[in-house]
Amino acid sequence: MIELDVNHIKKNFGGLQALNDVTFKVRGPELIGLIGPNGAGKTTLTNILDGLIRPSSGTVYLNGRRIDTLPPYQVARAGLGRTFQVTRAFRRMTVLENLMVPALAMHPTARQHDFLDKAMEVLKFLTMDHLVNEYGRALSGGQQKLLELGRLLMLDPDLIILDEPFAGVHPKLMEIIYEYITTVNAQGKAFIIISHDMETIFTLSRRLLVLNFGELIADGDPDVVRHDPAVIEAYLGEEEEEAGPAMVETYLGKDKRQDA
Amino acid sequence: MEHASYFFLALLWIVGWGTVGAVVTPRIYGRKDLDVSQASLAGAATGAAGGPFALLPLWYLTPELTWKWVAIPSIVIVIIFAGSFAAADPNNLCVTNSGFVATQLVNGLVIGTIYGLMALGLTLIFSILGVVSFAHGEFYMLGGMAVFYLTDVWFPGLHPLVGVLGAAVLTFVIGVIFERLFLRAMNTGQVERPGEYAILVTFGLGFFLQYLTLALVGANPKKVPRFFEYPTISLPSADNPTLLKVTAGTIKMFNLISIPSPRFTAALIALILLVLLMWFLYYTWIGKALRAVSQDRQAAAVTGINPDTMNTLAFGLGTMLAGLSGASLVQVFSWVPWVGIPASARSFVIIVLGGMGSLPGAFIGGLIVGLVEAAGAGCVPDPQRAASYIPAYGMLILTLVLLLKPTGLFGREL
Amino acid sequence: MNRTKWLWGLAAAVGLLLIAAPALLESYPYIMHIAIVAFFYAILASSWSLLAGYAGQFSFGHMAFMAIGAYTAGIFGKYVRLTTAPTGVCSEIPMGNHWLVLVNFFGDNCLELGKANMPVGTLIYRLPALPGIILGIIMGGIFGLLVGVLVLRLRRTYLALFTIGFSEIVRVTFNAEIDITNGPNGLELAPLFPNGVHLFGFYFNSANKIPPYYVMLMLFLVSMAVMYWLSISRFGLFIRSIREDEEAAAALGVHIVRYKVLVFVVTSMIAAAAGAVEAHYIGVITPNILLILQMSLVISMAVIGGLESLVGAAIGAIIIEFALEFLRTSFTIGPIVVDMTTWRLVFFGLLLMLTLRFWTNGLIYPIIQRLTRSGVAEETVAMRQAAVEGAVEGQG
Repeated sequence: MIELDVNHIKKNFGGLQALNDVTFKVRGPELIGLIGPNGAGKTTLTNILDGLIRPSSGTVYLNGRRIDTLPPYQVARAGLGRTFQVTRAFRRMTVLENLMVPALAMHPTARQHDFLDKAMEVLKFLTMDHLVNEYGRALSGGQQKLLELGRLLMLDPDLIILDEPFAGVHPKLMEIIYEYITTVNAQGKAFIIISHDMETIFTLSRRLLVLNFGELIADGDPDVVRHDPAVIEAYLGEEEEEAGPAMVETYLGKDKRQDA
Repeated sequence: MEHASYFFLALLWIVGWGTVGAVVTPRIYGRKDLDVSQASLAGAATGAAGGPFALLPLWYLTPELTWKWVAIPSIVIVIIFAGSFAAADPNNLCVTNSGFVATQLVNGLVIGTIYGLMALGLTLIFSILGVVSFAHGEFYMLGGMAVFYLTDVWFPGLHPLVGVLGAAVLTFVIGVIFERLFLRAMNTGQVERPGEYAILVTFGLGFFLQYLTLALVGANPKKVPRFFEYPTISLPSADNPTLLKVTAGTIKMFNLISIPSPRFTAALIALILLVLLMWFLYYTWIGKALRAVSQDRQAAAVTGINPDTMNTLAFGLGTMLAGLSGASLVQVFSWVPWVGIPASARSFVIIVLGGMGSLPGAFIGGLIVGLVEAAGAGCVPDPQRAASYIPAYGMLILTLVLLLKPTGLFGREL
Repeated sequence: MNRTKWLWGLAAAVGLLLIAAPALLESYPYIMHIAIVAFFYAILASSWSLLAGYAGQFSFGHMAFMAIGAYTAGIFGKYVRLTTAPTGVCSEIPMGNHWLVLVNFFGDNCLELGKANMPVGTLIYRLPALPGIILGIIMGGIFGLLVGVLVLRLRRTYLALFTIGFSEIVRVTFNAEIDITNGPNGLELAPLFPNGVHLFGFYFNSANKIPPYYVMLMLFLVSMAVMYWLSISRFGLFIRSIREDEEAAAALGVHIVRYKVLVFVVTSMIAAAAGAVEAHYIGVITPNILLILQMSLVISMAVIGGLESLVGAAIGAIIIEFALEFLRTSFTIGPIVVDMTTWRLVFFGLLLMLTLRFWTNGLIYPIIQRLTRSGVAEETVAMRQAAVEGAVEGQG
């Protein structure tokens, strides 16, 4: 049973309050979408969960263990895996070596060939098995994203946070990522997915968290959240936004037409 | 050294509590969720100055760090240091002879101006290309060599200032050629790991230039006569030169401070160049474009500035400043092909101290390093050991600044 | 598979050749000397490639660790003696019938003073080189640990500047503490085998090049084996992932602090070992081994050999050391005397720059890659593939 407890997280950067009293729980293999306008604090929240930065106050527990005071590598070993907004494949290491890093980091006494089969399995699943000996830099941007997802499978965490997994990805690869999320989720792993791609996030996730100005303004079923006045306000009230508002607007508009 | 123990006790106090402050303060501030970027430096300075009596208030009473927590302790440290030194060695020339002290200070400032000019070139390169040139000292050396060959070997009788101009052109051209051939590849993605590439390739350039010069001109020290022969001036009168006494070799002020005239000339050239550089950077279109690129490459590119051209120009200007420093100092020191090594080490110290990429930082850092060197050379007893340790003082400053506050005194946050 | 076997065969043949070489070259002590120095540089270049090429820690302080190893061995040899009677003045540890005497660093030599207390016929021995070398390795490790911890937060240029500073401080200290290190005049060390050595039924005197050849060769092979094993084990994998992206590596569970410090410790110990052995072989060390030129040589060897290849860096070092030695001969073209002792370094610097610019992987590593047929070919195929896909993405 996966249990994540985020309690009253606050984070200040100098005078700026990036997160204010964020509290939520994850129970079991949930599939959660985390949305919010630019600067809402999504990445800050991810970095706090990951241990990259410490919260000003508040606690985070994963499976009963306090993780907000741990460094990132211990958080990873405790069962929380993440990707970054910008792809961060190890460019001058082969695909196989990329996959071996988390596997060996998780198993201090294991050897590389113990994980060969698993790595090949993961690559097949990601339709990348023909690239096993390529260097990370030789992959396309989308393939590098897949590689990062593959590394997470080798890390085998309980909870996976994906930061913008669909941004700038070829539609065909997007399908693979979509399938990855649903399949791995069905295997019992919890997901928190940050995305600007409203259409995908609304259809994919079964629960939606909405951050605005560092506050959690909505938490619940996507269909309910969609009609939440606070959420609509947060998106429509913002003027300088590139992808988000337009998409929400069209999405919400389309949705209202369907309702009517 | 009569009571050396005073001095070493003070030193022990400074180092001990400074370390405690540097290590503990960021942790305490981190726990309180305060800004820790200044904490190491402020902790070290406060600890070194006041020990536990200053550290405890810093840890428990202060809500946030201001520059006062660095500046005031720094002054206190200097006082403790100087006081214990005076107590330990009361017969030292630095304690007994105020004229000597004043001369050392003024000479430190004079030479610091030229150090500042050279470091300015390095920091200019860094602020635009994001690269520290490890060949900076070699351009300094080339500048001096150019003056020697232009005015003494090829065209004897050529005015030294023309020689300096020639040195500027030479170092500028070499810098531009190198940038076009080697550093431009960084921006076009032709080399992997551009950061490391820049370090190594400029390092290679320094190696190449140094040995090329050695192969071409040999290892014999070159000496250039002083650029200007000052007329003899005495103020208020020849019999009573209490205000100013200028002779061919030295300039003596208030009967107290004497500056060798080549150094004075060099500092004068450096000051003129500084003014010119500031005018160029702040009042010409190209200078403004350079500063724009240093602040935001993309934004500058959008406004029609070609960042590649600016890179080339900045590198050329930077190497030219190093060349000009060398050209103006060649009359002060004897010149050998490896004269650039300590000079570039000093420039590293200065730009790290002043903050990488900060122009005022480089100049003020230059003055500080000039002063510290003058004090170190003039005051430390046991001359042989002191002389041996001189190259290390700067490096000690460098490593301390990197550990305590990598952004330096005036650096932008990383 | 066949090719791998063939390669191992080649490696074994080269190894045998290196081991057998003294038999052929015995009458050419100069070549033996170059070979020993070449192994010394090979150890330094390959350990630097582990530090810089694999772990991405571009340190300019590598020679400082080498010097720390060398000076520790030298100071140990200068100040530690074994006597058959207590001096009563020095600090000393009884060991059975013998006393391990530590001579004081400052003031009058206590051993000389103590001779008055010792009965006639008391023997005073120097200790063999090995304990000093081991102590040197340990000191190298300690300083490696210290520097590794201090530079944890520094990256790239800052790391380079810090390590240059560290190296300078070490050099100046050795230069200035004349009482202990003899300063610029150099600290003298006993030969590796002061009384000569019996090997394969032959006797070699202390000036013979064959025993030091084997010692340095052994050190070279052992350190290469250790580093190669490290590079293919989890250690190598982790330090490369740290080089590529520290945060991403940490997010995947890699203990980055431990591995960054560890790589400094390991490479420093190897450098210190090379320094200690070399110092005993040469017989004298001066602070000049810390000049920028020496560090430049090691860096250039590693870069030209191949930064990301231990074997490439080692082979590069050996070839360059031989080339530099053979290019010493000056010659004249008409009236111009070409002083090759300097010009060879000019070409060398130019080669370094050109290699960096046009052959990122160095000159030797690509040959090794071609022999093992790994990487290059497949990579270009994948690059093309990625380019095609990128084009498709662009359209979509």
